[in-house]
This record gives sequence, C-alpha cells and structure tokens, in this order.
Amino acid sequence: MPANNEFDVIIIGGGITGAGTARDCSMRGLRVLLIERHDIATGATGRNHGLLHSGARYAVKDSESAEECIRENKILRSIAANCVEDTGGLFITLPEDEEAGFGLDYQKVFIEACIKAGIEAKAISPEEAKIMEPSVNPSLIGAVVVPDGSVDPFRLCSANVTDAVMHGAKVLTYTEFTDFIKEGDAIVGVKVTDTRSGEAAEYRAPVTVNAAGIWGHAVAEKAGVRISMYPAKGALLVFGHRVNNVVINRCRKSADGDILVPGDTVTVIGTTSTKIPFEECDNMEVTPDEVNLLLREGCALCPSLADTRILRAYAGVRPLVADDSDPSGRSISRGIVCLDHESRDGVKGFVSITGGKLMTYRLMAELATDAVCRKLGVRQACATATTPLPGSADGRIEAVSKRFPGKPSAGQKGAAGRQGDLVGKIRFDTEADKRLVCECENVTLAEIKYAVKELGVKNLEDLRRRTRVGMGTCQGTLCIRKAAKALAEALGDPSLAEKLAADYLDERWKGMRAVGWGDTLREMEFMQRVYKFEKPYSYDEV
Amino acid sequence: MKFDVVIIGGGLAGMTAASALQGAGFRCAVISEGLSLHNVQAGGFKAAGGTMLAGDRVIGGSFDGDRLKEVSTEKLSGIPIEADNFILATGKYFSKGIVADMDKVYEPLFGLDVDFDPDRSTWFSQSFAAPQRFLQFGVKAEDGRALRGGRQVVNLFPAGEVLAGISGAQGDATESIRRSALDAVSAIRNK
Repeated sequence: MPANNEFDVIIIGGGITGAGTARDCSMRGLRVLLIERHDIATGATGRNHGLLHSGARYAVKDSESAEECIRENKILRSIAANCVEDTGGLFITLPEDEEAGFGLDYQKVFIEACIKAGIEAKAISPEEAKIMEPSVNPSLIGAVVVPDGSVDPFRLCSANVTDAVMHGAKVLTYTEFTDFIKEGDAIVGVKVTDTRSGEAAEYRAPVTVNAAGIWGHAVAEKAGVRISMYPAKGALLVFGHRVNNVVINRCRKSADGDILVPGDTVTVIGTTSTKIPFEECDNMEVTPDEVNLLLREGCALCPSLADTRILRAYAGVRPLVADDSDPSGRSISRGIVCLDHESRDGVKGFVSITGGKLMTYRLMAELATDAVCRKLGVRQACATATTPLPGSADGRIEAVSKRFPGKPSAGQKGAAGRQGDLVGKIRFDTEADKRLVCECENVTLAEIKYAVKELGVKNLEDLRRRTRVGMGTCQGTLCIRKAAKALAEALGDPSLAEKLAADYLDERWKGMRAVGWGDTLREMEFMQRVYKFEKPYSYDEV
Repeated sequence: MKFDVVIIGGGLAGMTAASALQGAGFRCAVISEGLSLHNVQAGGFKAAGGTMLAGDRVIGGSFDGDRLKEVSTEKLSGIPIEADNFILATGKYFSKGIVADMDKVYEPLFGLDVDFDPDRSTWFSQSFAAPQRFLQFGVKAEDGRALRGGRQVVNLFPAGEVLAGISGAQGDATESIRRSALDAVSAIRNK
C-alpha cells in the first residue's frame, strides 16, 4: 500500500482545466491529487461569458480554434447536457459595420469560413432574426444563425471534480502550492499550505501537471522553467434579467463587448481585453472606461440594455501564451499549449497545460493526460468525450419527474436543474428541508446541506458556485443571512454565520461598486438598509 | 386646489411634519406615492382634517421667482396643487427622492442643488459594512430652505433622508429624520 501522501499525478489548479485533467487521469486509472488554493472555478473558469462557442467567432481568422470549438461544442452537448443550454446564436450585421468594411460581403466570407470549419451557419433575413430574438437591435441589416449556446462553468467544473472524486481522486481546496520537491533534474512532488489552518504538507508523485491558468507562470518559475504568459484582463457586466434568449454576436472582426449571452436568469455582456501586470491578477477592479465601453457595445447588440439594471461587473484573466518560436513575444496564441518540460527544458516529471479556452478544456485535459500517461508508461485510451458527466446522464426533466413524481416544488425543480441526475442524493426529509433559502434561484435548505456534504463547500462563495445561492436579482440582499445560518449549521459551527455573511456581502459589494448608479445604486442603498451593519441583528432572530 | 402646506412624501419625515402642522391649524395635504408605512400617523392626520393624496406622484412644479408656486401630479393632470409652503420629504435613492446617474446625482422634481462628489470612485467603501459616502449625498439646504441654482427657495423645506447628511440605511436615523421634520415645522410656524 502506498502512503497516503503518494500519488501517480498531482494537478495544480482547480479551474476547469485542472478539474478536467483530474477527471481524465482518474478515469484512466491513475491515483490523482488535485490542489487548489481557493475554491474550484474561482479564476478565469468562473469569470467569463459562459458561452458555448460554436467556433464561428474564430472561423475567419483562426480555423484551427474554430474546428476545435465546434468539435468540443458537440461533445459537451452530449457529455454535459446538464451544464449547457442550446440557445442558438446569431451573428448580426449593423449599418455601422457595413461602413467599417464588415457588411454583407464580409457575411459571405464569414459563412464560407464557418462551413469550411464544420460549423453550420445559415444567413437569415433581418425580419427572421427579429422573430428569433425580439431583443436584437432592430436596425440590423443581416444575420447568421450558428450553433452557439450557453454553458454554466461552475456546474461544469463541479461535475468534473465530482467525477474525478468518484474515480478515486483526492481533491484539496484551500490548499496552496508553495514549492516543488526536486530530486536532481526531476520534480517528484509538491509542498503545500492549507490556507485556512496555515498547516504545511508534502505530497509526492512522479508527475505534476501545472494547470494553474495565469498563475501557472509563477508555478513554472518555481520549477525553474519559463512560460511567456500574457495576462489579458476581460471585463463583463451582468444584467438583472434574461434580456435575450439567443446568443447575439457581431458579424465583424472580433472586438470588445460584442457578445451577449443569456445564462440561467441573467444576461452577460463582454468582454474587453487589456494586458495587466501579474500583480493585479489576484484583485481586479472593473474600471469606468470598461463599463462605458461594454454598455455602449451592448446597447448596439440589444438597445433595451440601456434601461436594464446592471447587477454587477466582474473580470477574469485569460492565460494567453506567447509562441516559443517568437522571441519578441508578440505572437500570442489563443490556442492550446501543452508543454512537456522534460523535452522542452530538461525538467523531468513536469507538464504544463495552458492557453486554450473554457470550450476546449476537455481537449486540453486529454492532451495533458496523454502526456502524463506517456511519462508513466500507462496505455489507456481517453474516454471523456463519450462518457457523460455526473448529473448529465439523464436529461433534466426526466431527472425531476423520476425523483419527484407528482408535483415537484420550485426548490426541487431548481435543484434538479442545477444538480441534474444527482438530485436523487438531495434529501428532502423534513418540511424545513423543502423551505427556500434563496428565492431568486429557488435554493432549498436540503440543497445547501447536500452541497456541504458532497461538493466541498466551505463558505458562501463556494455555495454560490455550486447552487447559485445569492446570484439572482437581489444579489443576496434578502437571503444571505438565512443562507449563512444554514451553511454555518451544516458546517457544524453556527458561530461562523456572521463572518460568512460579511465576507459574501463584501464580494457582492465589489461587483456592484463598479456599476453603482441608477437602479443598481438603489439596490445598494436597499442592501445597506436591510443589513444596517452599524447595528447588526442577532442571528437568533432569523 | 390650494393648501397652507403641501407635504410631498408620506414616510416618517413627511407624516411627522404633516401631523404636527395639521394639529397646529394648518390646512395640509400629503402626496404619497406608495402606501404610507406610517398608517397610524396617517390615521391621526386624516382624523384631524388633513388631506391624503395617496397613490399619486408629484411630477413637477412651477416657480414664481424664489417661491415654489404649485406642483402637478401624475393623476390630477391639469389640476395644479398650490400652497403657501411645501415640505419635500421624498427620501433618498430607493424612493427616488434623489437619483444617481453615472456622473451626477440630482433631485428629479425641481432640480434642487444636491451635495455630492462628481468623482464616483469616492462614493463607496471597499467593505460593505464600512460607512458609505454615497449615503450622505442629498439636497442642500440653508436656513431650512432648499437651494436651487445657489439661491434659497423661500417656501420649500426639505426634510428627512432627501437631505444631505441624513441616511437611515446605516444605523438608526429615526431621531435625525424626526428632528429634520420638526425643524421644517418650526420654520413654517415661525414665518
């Protein structure tokens, strides 16, 4: 028996790439340890549009990315049915695009490029586009339908982690990588610190995978290798309701703020692209210029956004990588970069997987796992493209009717929508279990208990990523004290409630500050009024 | 329609002032957009002969030099409501007594002067629980009278959270809201 700190592979980073790699490695029979310094999906994974790209956006300029996207698009629809929504997408041409040289002639080029990449793309008339998506800018002069959709990145990441755990992987969140354990020119393990208790530990494995996104730059440095990374900040705005039902893009050269994605109960506009210093990656604020740009471009896609309350602003960092062959570092790829540091740098037992996109995480994980297996001499084929993720084996509706014959409650339907066929694990034993804690997103006490027991939730942010608690139109204003109390009790320490709520409110506040005017400011005043922090309520009153 | 005092807003500040003035023999009307949360006070006010125009909303007013002459409401279109004095008790952001744009804060009914910082980056504290500067913004007053274009509107008395410096969103502001309403009452009685 190996000691409990020995594994076949250690994966650094609990974003979608690390989670996918953990799943793939564990499905191929490897003993896996995944370490993540915060919670899963806290970096770029949870800070993007949630767009299930068809690949059309890349078709003209980058056919390789386009082909990857459409292949993975089809795979995710079949293996992650519970995480994706088939909204369809439109690429619209506006009169000003025509003036800028991206008129209907460009539309023809675009459609040809899509079809060449294997993406179904069909031109429809402006009238048809308005029927398909009534919120679209009515002055459009052309539209193309493509198989875009939306994907819930939190749910997707969580499903990958859950499956890895089901296949025997060990997952340690709130565990920060501090250094490598080296023997000669080989990496043989990692040193970590539990960020909550401060305790240090060491784990050993013949291979370590760097899947730390933009933070992978620093991880690689600890191994003595250099990856030229470019932190590209992307800012996005979330609107207070689902304004559009179809993804709306601009049919022109890719630019800032030209994708509008409906996701669950909201709509997201993005994104910008600004190179930022590495120091800023951990704490990004969305600037007034970014907000102005996103609003202006958003209104061009969908004019009613001008009168829609903005819930919050957020930003993520794309882990872009400069081409190794270009010493100037100017040639930046948006493609997948899988580096075997033994052949590249002479460092054994170390693989970096970076670049890429949320859309292509599964392929990235497959490439990384192939590299790991080569090193370990394991010959086991990848099965992640054909094996459904937990929660997605059954359709959502089927899962609800099987689990709750008769008349399911709003909370039960909500739970089935989020947890898919795993909803059977949620125990609605008592009346209290059925009670709604978050009324915007229909989250019950039972689902909160399940998330703590099965999904590694430690705080309200983690709970939000697993259940959407506090993510809806009230941004936690009306539910967070209830949720904090329920979570603190489920964690076994009711005294935590006040701290949990305060931390959550600070995080919501950060997202609202950037868009603090108009109706958002009214909500902010209301939120202050409900909590009156200068004289906190007693939690016994809840 | 003519009253001695028209009170715009039926919250704590508006009803406190209205009850005191009606009790002191002034003929008062309260124009209240929502259902008054201060029903007990509203009951006493009506019993004393006050007029409640509930569920209506002031949409503007006309000035005669430095005096507010009359206000018009959404429902009583074409029937301006005149008064010798007006109390503005419309509250802060949530009740739209003041409104924030991306780059300014304004008073929407009469365009009164508002005390605020045009630099939005100064409006908020990082921590939710810390004091928030935007909650202190509000209508400027001098000798209890609202300012408009830097000059006093001699018969318009702001009261409650519409005023700069008063907010009930953090801590308990009940006392300062009542105090500002009673100050407006004294100013009208002493005119």
